[in-house]
Amino acid sequence: MPPDFFQFHCPTKIIFNPGISNDISAELGSLAVTRLMVVTDKMLVDLGIVDPVIAGLKNVGIQVTSVFHEVPANSELKVVKKCADQAIRQEAEGLIAIGGGSVIDTAKTAAILLTHGGDLVGDYSGAETIPGPLKPVIAIPTTAGTGSEVTRAAVILDEESHTKLSFVDRYLAPALAVLDPELTVRLPPKLTAATAMDALTHAIESYTSIQANPISEALAAKAIPLIRQNILKAVLHGEDIEARGALLTAAAMAGLAFDHAMVGVVHGMAHATGGLVGIHHGTANSIFLPWGMEYNLSACIEKYSEIAQIMKLPVEGLSAEAAARKAIEAVVRLREELKQACGLPNRLRDAGVTENLLEQIAEGAVNDGTSFFNPKEVIKEDVLKLVQRAF
Amino acid sequence: MATFDSSDRLKTVLGGFFEYLFTVPEMSQKLMASKMVLKFNYTEPELSITVDLTGPSPMITYNDCSKKPEVEMNMKADVAHRFWFGKVNLIMALARREMVAKGSIPKILKLLPVIKPAYELYPKYLEQGGYSALMIQ
Repeated sequence: MPPDFFQFHCPTKIIFNPGISNDISAELGSLAVTRLMVVTDKMLVDLGIVDPVIAGLKNVGIQVTSVFHEVPANSELKVVKKCADQAIRQEAEGLIAIGGGSVIDTAKTAAILLTHGGDLVGDYSGAETIPGPLKPVIAIPTTAGTGSEVTRAAVILDEESHTKLSFVDRYLAPALAVLDPELTVRLPPKLTAATAMDALTHAIESYTSIQANPISEALAAKAIPLIRQNILKAVLHGEDIEARGALLTAAAMAGLAFDHAMVGVVHGMAHATGGLVGIHHGTANSIFLPWGMEYNLSACIEKYSEIAQIMKLPVEGLSAEAAARKAIEAVVRLREELKQACGLPNRLRDAGVTENLLEQIAEGAVNDGTSFFNPKEVIKEDVLKLVQRAF
Repeated sequence: MATFDSSDRLKTVLGGFFEYLFTVPEMSQKLMASKMVLKFNYTEPELSITVDLTGPSPMITYNDCSKKPEVEMNMKADVAHRFWFGKVNLIMALARREMVAKGSIPKILKLLPVIKPAYELYPKYLEQGGYSALMIQ
């Protein structure tokens, strides 16, 4: 049964092809831009991933005003400001983000200042605060995880208050998402696994969110098997373009799904953990995913049972609850396989978390905005038990 | 036609409701636990209500520019009226720009379960306060 109200808004044009990032001339024509600034990080520049994209832009007459390569792993307000100032000085007509979620979120928020000026926190932090369309952002993801290349949200760290600020607005969706699996082949196995598990968590949590709608469910339902069937292939054989392409596509689909349906307690626990220790977000999600599913089981028997079928697990003749448990078991097995394949930790203690932090993680998960969308009420005492088991 | 014909009327009714909420112990206790400064900016008619929950007791002020809110909600007074009847889905209102939320979205979302009981209190408050004409079905 569809909810009383839902909306689905995807203004981002998505193009996919191995090698396509070297020639996006056809798409740039419709954006009517001639001067673009590249936003990226230094590692990608050093790896030689950025140069071919720039060469492709220059070949079609696009002037690249400069390359801003100072984006850290978790972007900060001061970085966004610096990026925007550089783009404003150089009169860039748009931004082209080449990188992971932090790079893309930096470009998205810098585009606000580039277009409308003002104070990023005071004027725009929050929901639907941007007064009009932004100068175009072209997102070229080099990881298959966050889905930021298609979402209407960005998260930036306020380095002074040590809090993550959310920006949610229809105008934040990039104008163009370029999915080129060739750009992800050099992603190390462990990071490949962690980012793909992030995408799997987006898909599963959005599928079971109280805010899910038939369109987000369809996207999540397609993303789940794409990730499950290709994650190990990409981890074990990084050059497998087909597997890389499947993960990149699935990450964008899961991104669109959670952009509309939101996520739940797994993200709540991951956000809380990330705020206390320097754990990779995808790794934290991977650790918490089966525990969060276990927590929500009583409220999600039908949905998990559907996930088991989507995963093509042998559930014929089983009760809905037994089938639902199969889905959780499949996630547990997948994590074990990833641990064997690339050392992706599946316990908090193996990811730098100490026992004295568990209570704070539970507290943080309850207070996280995602708990509002979880299919089951998020209660601290119960979450603490989960976190202890995940430890 | 707007529900509230003047800012004074809006202040009396909606401001009065905010003050009433803090006389309900359970509601007051949970709201105070948020330790936030919230500001509601209304249009048609114009009024802003600031609710300061950082001190030992709640402080409600009107058109107050001296406090820096952590969360600021902008909407038409009619939308606010419907919201307190429980007839506005916040996520939908944000998506359709009937409401604009500035500040910490997680903190806004966290308040939703806390204020849910207020949806039942608002019609009772209107009736008891002699504002029955403002009731909506």
